[in-house]
Amino acid sequence: MIIVMQHQATAAQIAAVVARVEAIGYRASLIKGEERTVIGVIGDDRPIDRTQFEVLDGVEKTLPVLKPFKLASREMQPRDTYVPLNGTLVGATRIAFIAGPCSVESRSQILETALAVKEAGATALRGGAFKPRTSPYSFQGLGEEGLQYLAEAREATGLPVVTEAMAPEQIPLVARYADVIQIGARNMQNYDLLRAAGKADKPVLLKRGMMSTIEELLMSAEYILAGGNSRVMLCERGIRTFERYTRNTTDINAIPVIKQLTHLPVLLDPSHGTGKWEYVIPVARAAIAAGADGLLVEVHPKPAEALSDGAQSLKPEKFAQLVRECRAVAEAIGRN
Amino acid sequence: MIIVMQPHATADQIANVISQVEAIGYRVHLSRGEERTIIGVIGDDRPIDREQFEALDGVEKTVPILKPFKLASREMHPADTLVSLDGIKVGGPRLVLIAGPCSVESRSQILETALAVKEAGATALRGGAFKPRTSPYSFQGLGEEGLQYLAEARDMTGLPVVTEAMSEEQVTLVARYADVIQIGARNMQNYPLLNAVGRSGKPVLLKRGMMSTIEELLMSAEYILAQGNGRVMLCERGIRTFEKYTRNTTDINAVPVLKQMTHLPVLLDPSHSTGKYDYVIAVAKAAIAAGADGLLVEVHPRPEKALSDGAQSLRPEKFAQLVREVRRIAEAVDRTV
Repeated sequence: MIIVMQHQATAAQIAAVVARVEAIGYRASLIKGEERTVIGVIGDDRPIDRTQFEVLDGVEKTLPVLKPFKLASREMQPRDTYVPLNGTLVGATRIAFIAGPCSVESRSQILETALAVKEAGATALRGGAFKPRTSPYSFQGLGEEGLQYLAEAREATGLPVVTEAMAPEQIPLVARYADVIQIGARNMQNYDLLRAAGKADKPVLLKRGMMSTIEELLMSAEYILAGGNSRVMLCERGIRTFERYTRNTTDINAIPVIKQLTHLPVLLDPSHGTGKWEYVIPVARAAIAAGADGLLVEVHPKPAEALSDGAQSLKPEKFAQLVRECRAVAEAIGRN
Repeated sequence: MIIVMQPHATADQIANVISQVEAIGYRVHLSRGEERTIIGVIGDDRPIDREQFEALDGVEKTVPILKPFKLASREMHPADTLVSLDGIKVGGPRLVLIAGPCSVESRSQILETALAVKEAGATALRGGAFKPRTSPYSFQGLGEEGLQYLAEARDMTGLPVVTEAMSEEQVTLVARYADVIQIGARNMQNYPLLNAVGRSGKPVLLKRGMMSTIEELLMSAEYILAQGNGRVMLCERGIRTFEKYTRNTTDINAVPVLKQMTHLPVLLDPSHSTGKYDYVIAVAKAAIAAGADGLLVEVHPRPEKALSDGAQSLRPEKFAQLVREVRRIAEAVDRTV
């Protein structure tokens, strides 16, 4: 961290800040400029609460130098982390396609969709049994019954199951049925849930909150990693902006930024990233071209009858087209 | 437009709204629901100011049905518009790669860069002579001298020149030297400037404002088209969001959204939209995969010495790498470079 002193800070104030830095076990490096003095704190100062310096007399502000995440950073672990999923090492050269309906609505709906996405080339099946819906009056998911149907769909197709847990108490139940536990965008900063996922014996798919920065996403990943679970996959799913023609704005920059900052696999969800099925395929291609390790795509056999997210769901034949077009892009960048 | 009445609107208030609609020459379609009454206005009501209805007693709100742009819309003009630029038809299968420095800094800098980007595969040269800089103390551009150097670079390389005009008065001067007049993001809603480039007859590259919606971009294009200039290219260059790791957030959704709504060519500027050179190539590839018709890329022979935008400028050899990688993506989506 760098501590910037006020323009008129006195020698005594500067000395007090230096003494404080040294008192908590760090070294201070003083830079006296023409207009003001700057104090560099030497050492891994991530645990320090910077506000404790900002309240000292004569301090104008403090600036972090180190990124606040550690286990998630490439500095700590330069090589890519691979998360095994149905024979695909997510994060390696092969692209993962996780597809399925927003919600598990019935046994027949999930079985039909699972067979269709498997046929089209999906690597894994997605589907929500516990649903975080904006309105308390909307369909809230089938709960454990939905998990049972997902397990049955896995048996029928061999596709591993990715499904969401919304509360720490749901983690053991979801982990019993699922192959990957999803943390949804609205729960990205539910720290008790992150801690519980960190203790789980299953890989975690962590979605970026729609109002969260990339740094906050990586800090949430840090919670799971710090809990001892290193099998974490990140997912960009669009952020909230002023643009109204789409449900969210897909932050495509996040792909190369996250690949540079962290060793964890990065996926993209073009269904939520756009909110309209017509834009899903171009944005899916863009994600692969930008370097994403996989996609999370909403597919429904009859989008017009879906209980949630119908407008952004692809029909199975459109998903098959998505897989074909993404495969061509993947080959163009040396992946498959 | 649809006029939604308040739940307790009286019969008199409803009748008054209907007579106002009919008075300006439109028909109404009344629908009485259980909770409230809705009045549909039938006809092309784009010229109507909706606020005049919102001011009437008993009206809760008005909702537009038609998109406010017309000449720019695909409904009016289903076929793609192709803008000819030195043998390339921008909007056709071949991608346009417009590259060069943020600013023209000197004769030697622009000539050196022009040769380098040409060699790497660029199809046009960019470079600013008039620069809209956030700080009045920053380098403001070389002005007409810069335009002369750009013309010289064109003579030497054959690359057409894309450069910005910042005000109505500059349009004539810029049009004398440039092949394409650029309207920068900060001027996207400078309406006298839009009208002036509309009258200039030169192709226009219109950049999206960093705080503007897609609809506002299309309305600005509409200004240029309404002046009779059909050669307009649009450019997404990143919007402002809460994300701090990048200078802007590339709105990649804008590419398929624009291709669906308008017949005009759509380019993307990965230099501004990321703000850091390390991310430019990845986002350039994403743009082409999403269906963009071309790219606008900042290239500088010595980014560390650039007078503007050094952090987001590619060295010529990195730009050559961008062209190679983009070519492979283009082939994967059945296009060429």
